[in-house]
Amino acid sequence: MHQNPFRILIFFIFCLFLVQAADGQNITISGYVKDSTNGETLIGATVKNKESTIGTVTNAYGYFSLSLPSNTTQIMVSYIGYVTKTINLKGAKLSGIQIALLPQNKEVKEVVINSERLDKNVRSTEMSRIEISGEKLKSLPVIFGEPDVLKAITLMPGIKSGGEASTGFYVRGGGPDQNLILMDEAVVYNPSHLFGFLSVFNSDAVKGIEVIKGGMPANYGGRLSSILNVSMREGNNQNFKYSGGIGLISSRLTAEGPIQKGKSSFLISGRRTYIDVLAKPFIPADLAGNSYYFYDLNLKLNFILGEKDRLFVSGYFGRDILDFKSPTNRAVNFNLGWGNSTATVRWNHVFNQKLFSNTSVMFNRYELFNDFKFGAGGFSVRSGLVDWSLKSDFTWFAHPKHMVKYGFNYTFHTFTPGIAAGNIGTVVINESINKQYAHEYALYALDEYNINHRWSLNYGLRAVAFQLVGPYTQQEFDNNTGLPSGNTKEYKSGETIAFYPRLEPRFNFNYLINEVSSIKGSYTQTYQFLHLATTSGAQFPLDLWVPSSRLVKPQMARQYALGYFRNLKQNTYETSAEIYYKPMRNQIEFKPGANLFFNQNLENEMVFGEGLSYGLELFLRKKTGRLNGWVGYTWSRTTRQFDELNNGKPYFYRYDRTHDISLLLSYQINDKWNANFVFVYGTGNATTLPDSRYAYRFGIDPQTGEPQFVFVDRYSDVNSYRLPAYHRADISFTYLAKQTKKFESSWNFSIYNVYNRANPYFIYFLPDIETQTVKAYMVYLFPILPSVQWNFKF
Amino acid sequence: MRNKGLYLVLFSLLSLVFVACEKEIKIDLPASKEELVVEASINQLSINFNYVILSTTLDYFNPSLSLSAVRGAEVYITEGNVVGSDTVFNINDRVQFFDYVDTIFPGIYLSADFRGQEEKPYKLEVFLKDGRTITGTTFIPKAKPIDSLHFWFEPNKVDTNVFFYMHWLDGPEQDNYRLTLRKGYIPILTGWGYGSRFYTFDDSQINNQPRPFLNFSPYKYNDTLHIYLATIGRKEYLFWDSFRGAANNGGPFATPVEVKSNVEGAIGSFTGYGLYQRSVIFRQE
Repeated sequence: MHQNPFRILIFFIFCLFLVQAADGQNITISGYVKDSTNGETLIGATVKNKESTIGTVTNAYGYFSLSLPSNTTQIMVSYIGYVTKTINLKGAKLSGIQIALLPQNKEVKEVVINSERLDKNVRSTEMSRIEISGEKLKSLPVIFGEPDVLKAITLMPGIKSGGEASTGFYVRGGGPDQNLILMDEAVVYNPSHLFGFLSVFNSDAVKGIEVIKGGMPANYGGRLSSILNVSMREGNNQNFKYSGGIGLISSRLTAEGPIQKGKSSFLISGRRTYIDVLAKPFIPADLAGNSYYFYDLNLKLNFILGEKDRLFVSGYFGRDILDFKSPTNRAVNFNLGWGNSTATVRWNHVFNQKLFSNTSVMFNRYELFNDFKFGAGGFSVRSGLVDWSLKSDFTWFAHPKHMVKYGFNYTFHTFTPGIAAGNIGTVVINESINKQYAHEYALYALDEYNINHRWSLNYGLRAVAFQLVGPYTQQEFDNNTGLPSGNTKEYKSGETIAFYPRLEPRFNFNYLINEVSSIKGSYTQTYQFLHLATTSGAQFPLDLWVPSSRLVKPQMARQYALGYFRNLKQNTYETSAEIYYKPMRNQIEFKPGANLFFNQNLENEMVFGEGLSYGLELFLRKKTGRLNGWVGYTWSRTTRQFDELNNGKPYFYRYDRTHDISLLLSYQINDKWNANFVFVYGTGNATTLPDSRYAYRFGIDPQTGEPQFVFVDRYSDVNSYRLPAYHRADISFTYLAKQTKKFESSWNFSIYNVYNRANPYFIYFLPDIETQTVKAYMVYLFPILPSVQWNFKF
Repeated sequence: MRNKGLYLVLFSLLSLVFVACEKEIKIDLPASKEELVVEASINQLSINFNYVILSTTLDYFNPSLSLSAVRGAEVYITEGNVVGSDTVFNINDRVQFFDYVDTIFPGIYLSADFRGQEEKPYKLEVFLKDGRTITGTTFIPKAKPIDSLHFWFEPNKVDTNVFFYMHWLDGPEQDNYRLTLRKGYIPILTGWGYGSRFYTFDDSQINNQPRPFLNFSPYKYNDTLHIYLATIGRKEYLFWDSFRGAANNGGPFATPVEVKSNVEGAIGSFTGYGLYQRSVIFRQE
């Protein structure tokens, strides 16, 4: 199976090229769908003939191509929240059509309920896929007045939150590092600010998000569990606009406008916390000088170079900065910072009506810097990861029944696990953990094949390979003592240290039972070559990404999913029931008490095992009307098995959640007021608690004769205890304070945790001398928390 | 996890901003399996650090905050010799440790006759009345003297803070250290638990050069500080390094840590200390 994956893929692509057949009876129309007010392209807009028998949706760049019978006279273009538009084809040009849709709130007199193709839920082969628009995101109840992408997606079935102090999310039993997080196609390695309380995505700059938690098509890969695709807005190419928001802990400001009207635009968006500034007057004198803040900056440029070419330049730069001065020793100063930087240049080219391409060059860097100063010296520690990527994707509208996608992706990774430099007194420190270099390749092809009215397939193959290369000095260590054995192996620049070629077959089908219901199934095989070195439940800035190596084999998952989809009341309600079964191999955990910081022999701290997740997800969604929203329920079970842990017995994964319920309701009270209600419930996390203790490090106070010692905890079964269930309800109201052609402002009032539920964050134990017993305490983070945010646009 | 201390500092800072609350909860845990625990310490310098303490584990919520002592055991330590690549222990060199102070501190076994020597191996044997045994070996490395120690006062403070810096010479071989600090006048330091600050180092970052130590938490003018620098073996270092994690468990970032015992038949350690001791009074001459 692992032999010559690229050769097998080339044969597969050759077969796909045979699909094109004579197509003389049809005409093909192609073009872009965009917002008429600002020129932003619309992703996922529906284009169909008037009878609604043939249709397509726009791709990630707003482009579509549709083959129709030559006698077709009209097409209809629709998108949720926009007025549906009918286009007469008589005499119109058929290629490069620019279709501009008017947002519904600009057309107040006409009540338009029609939007995107409402039966998409049952007709497309897609399953286990969720989309949320940037506007929807902003209306959800939020904590501290900060809309957050990663918090929002955890309201979906099958996606679980890592907790209130975590933006890490868990999809169908996978870990937080098994989610590929993309911002305009650039990988975001650490998506959190504020130690996981908030994500790096500024809601003002977000156009929409898409989550694929199963049935991953062949054009995506690199992680086992899910893809989170965050698209940034392009900027208004018609008028200069400014928008922003003032929240309790941070403010945002966005400026956008045309560089050349209708042809090019820019968007620049910034955000900064001011908790450091607000807290300053209240900080005691001995803590003065301590501060914590984060900021981020999004930049996007968009150029329409001609009918066939578009160029997008996007960038992100974010930093978290913590300054700490010791209250007892002013000479001790600790400065910790981390952040992501990404840059993407994308070029869309329409070769002809049937062939669309996007080529991207991407750069991203995640870095951590840590400066420590004290009276007699100081040192700094740096670590990080840098990627350079080249990616090309082609969409070939080969035949009315076939849409073929193919492309490649190449990434060069540079891992810098740690460099330390400085001095302690007269002693000079200049140490580094060896850098690692790797090539990652992917080549894929897939075919979306509508066999007939009832059957459609999406099948594909992705060939991936990972090559760890020199220069590198491989040190060997004694596994018992952890000491270097003295043996080393030198790899020259470019010399292969480990090479893993793999094949990832993908298959999705849809069988339309009738016009309102269908059965869908999928099979996905995925590999992951990068792994997050963490022992905590959530992702933290100090956690390192490490590559597959000679010892660390790529992680692998297979996922089988089957679902029944049914729409009710003329597509007003969408329902689905999905079951999935997901075995995972080469899962990585760290030994209890592993030292992950500045460790040359990190591999020796790892253990390798297997995982299994299966479950049932039920979903009911109402997409339109004054009252809309969804309710999701998941029953699932997730286990891990490692020979070295829990005596080799399978144990519950930390985020195994037997029952998970999420409810989101939105109600448009009137033109001014909108209300949202969220309720979530989840079985408590599995955790390991001590079952016994012993006294150690004994001493006797010679003055009092009293014994001195500490208690050490002993643990038995891994994750055998359940924390109390997590549940809370939030409510928010959005008030449209003013809306004119030139100025718009709104207020968002949120109450988080309305019934003040004490949800567990962690448990700790303290000996109580009075009662001579050990007592257990549960720490919870957020009681009922009201917040307000003011948003404006002009 | 070594970063845990840092995480806790960060979390404390965040607590200035965010609201964290806590409440007492009741937890039902199943009964645990009792295990033996041994803490055995020998050195070449002071009789006060030659002891063997025997106890057992307790159920977590057992209503006792005392040592669960094991009494009436036969405890022996034997000095050995390294002959080529072999270590030889002669039964004639066996010294018995007795629970002399059983009525006051049960479970503590001492010997008036035992003297440790640098660069000698030692064997621990414990025989319990119920037939269980504990065995282990250790080695007393050569002690490393502190080569340089100086201190300074934080200026312009009424209650002056004192910082000190010291270093000792770390050799080319793999050396590991335990450093124990104890403030205040004491006639003897009885058992390592009476120290007030504990540090464990190996030489993975700093090797074959002066090994520095700087205190970040200050002492005060006129304080007396007793410094105990012990050189220890690798498996003893692995135990004490894991002990540091195990004894400071808890919190949102913690993962369960088990100690890496270097004895058979019990949890715990038999540690030979190559001990150097120095005292300093922080005042201007």
